[in-house]
Amino acid sequence: MDTVVSLHNVCKTFRQKQPSKSGGLFSNLIRPEIREVHALQNVSLEVNRGEIVAYAGPNGAGKSTTVKMLSGMLAPDSGTVRALGLDPIHDRVKYVGKIGVVFGQRTELWWDMPVSASFEWKRAIWDVPQERYTRMLKTVKELLGLEPYFHSLVRELSLGQRMSADLGLALLHEPEILFLDEPTLGLDVLAKRSMLQFIKEINRERQVTVMITSHNMVELEQLAGRVVLINAGQIAFDGDFTKLRQTFSDKRHLMIETRTEVAPVFEEAQLLRSEAGRHNYVFDAAKVDLITLIQSASRQGEVLDVETQRAPIDDVFAEIYTQMSQIETVDPLISTISLK
Amino acid sequence: MLKSILRGWKSQGYLDGIQLLRNRSTFFMYAFSELILATASVSGMVLLASKFGGIGVWSRTDIFFLLGYALTVDSLLEMFFGYNIRNISRRIGRGQLDHLLVQPRPLWIALFTEGFSPFSVFLRLIPGGVLIGWAITQKPIEISPMWWGWFALNIVASVGVVLGYSFAWGSLAFWSPRGAEEICSSISRMFGQLQIFPLNGLGIITGGLLTILPIGFMAWFPARTLLTVPLYPQSLLITPIVSLCFLGLGLVSFVRGLAHYGRTGSQRYLDHGHRR
Repeated sequence: MDTVVSLHNVCKTFRQKQPSKSGGLFSNLIRPEIREVHALQNVSLEVNRGEIVAYAGPNGAGKSTTVKMLSGMLAPDSGTVRALGLDPIHDRVKYVGKIGVVFGQRTELWWDMPVSASFEWKRAIWDVPQERYTRMLKTVKELLGLEPYFHSLVRELSLGQRMSADLGLALLHEPEILFLDEPTLGLDVLAKRSMLQFIKEINRERQVTVMITSHNMVELEQLAGRVVLINAGQIAFDGDFTKLRQTFSDKRHLMIETRTEVAPVFEEAQLLRSEAGRHNYVFDAAKVDLITLIQSASRQGEVLDVETQRAPIDDVFAEIYTQMSQIETVDPLISTISLK
Repeated sequence: MLKSILRGWKSQGYLDGIQLLRNRSTFFMYAFSELILATASVSGMVLLASKFGGIGVWSRTDIFFLLGYALTVDSLLEMFFGYNIRNISRRIGRGQLDHLLVQPRPLWIALFTEGFSPFSVFLRLIPGGVLIGWAITQKPIEISPMWWGWFALNIVASVGVVLGYSFAWGSLAFWSPRGAEEICSSISRMFGQLQIFPLNGLGIITGGLLTILPIGFMAWFPARTLLTVPLYPQSLLITPIVSLCFLGLGLVSFVRGLAHYGRTGSQRYLDHGHRR
């Protein structure tokens, strides 16, 4: 396997001055309190060529810090960051020519110019050969549907159009790795769908390695074969989504319809609601299997219908984050010290 | 390196051109407003010098030359270091340096070329050029190719003084992004307000430290030396030397700040003012 991204024992701590809780108005000038935030703690991670990796975690988990490090914008305190055999900080000029970066909250497009002008600008600054420029421009125009607004001013575009143009721009020089930091932020369903489709396509056809962060777990599950879960600066999970569900909890929803209105009682499943003979439960498939529950229900009364479905991935992540925050309460990673 | 600089200027020039030449009304409105703004910035001093035949030891011709020189320096700063490169604290304070760091070229080349806006600024050069042209035809000095060489060197040096000073102070935004974001615009205002005055006869503290260094080197000192070339030719080197000092100071501050930025990254991002 060709490893294109490698992080080894990477640590990053930010120090933030805090308003004094104990002292008066002027105490901040003399003894400001410094809050240390351990954004990354001994993070080790490898990404192979052609992978799509979902990099997930709650707010403040360290996702953007990792992406910034991999984009050559931020240096680690300790540990090593390598990508495409280069050091993103020391070999920045050579390295950034081989990657594409899209931050959902920012744009690389020139605001008061037509979209086409930003593409021309990028061709010149990135020194993209004319043949590659023509070919990639045709590809991104087709796949992202840029043609109708390619000559419109960027400030006149909708958010979805702007994000599509940003993504097209990031791919213009044919990067080997694409870092996407919340690229679907604020997009409507159709825009999200076409963007995800596009990312899948360029990954499949061009073997572009993609590392994507998002809070939308459904889209991450649709897109990525692998999920790396980070929490409080540490990698909490690294594997596929099926394994993730199994590791943390394989929650399923079960609906049983019975002839009577009395809900069957299970020790291993929790009754959510019961209405007109339709009873909804949630259970952990890792602890009890479905057949056992149905057999138990049949013994308690006549069963008319059964429906089951996996818990939405959002619910799985919500539960994982809740579990993680409880761990954090016991072992806080954020410490407050006083600057002497 | 030279190829990269020229490519940068070309692409920025292209962007500037399509923005200004979008349609006739945009072009004329922009052109006229630039012309009026440039003229208005020196009109008070032009009127005073005309009314009183000069100010202090400076004749009317000298004042016109000074104003023309100041306008030219200011216009060149805008032409080559627009888009908040001159006001670097805004880019740093708003976290917009990241836009430059993802470009595959040395940061200094990005900074040196990304502010190039030739089409939208060239009309500003006209009032300055007219004032300088009129003044040198009135002065009894020998205008030789050598004089033009010194003139060009001093103009570039004055640009360097302002830029070095702005970068030296503007680098504070690396440590205090919000607090120092507008420090360079204050510096620009300070230069704008004081660059048009002849600064002769001031004391060491007020004149020497607070105004002449550095503001006097934007126009007053080089204008004075260029108008008295036969008397003090060696003084024509002073502005370039001062310029190198300020550029060095600006470079050291910026490099130190950038090292800090590499450790902390941008904790704050504002999109306005960069790509807009």
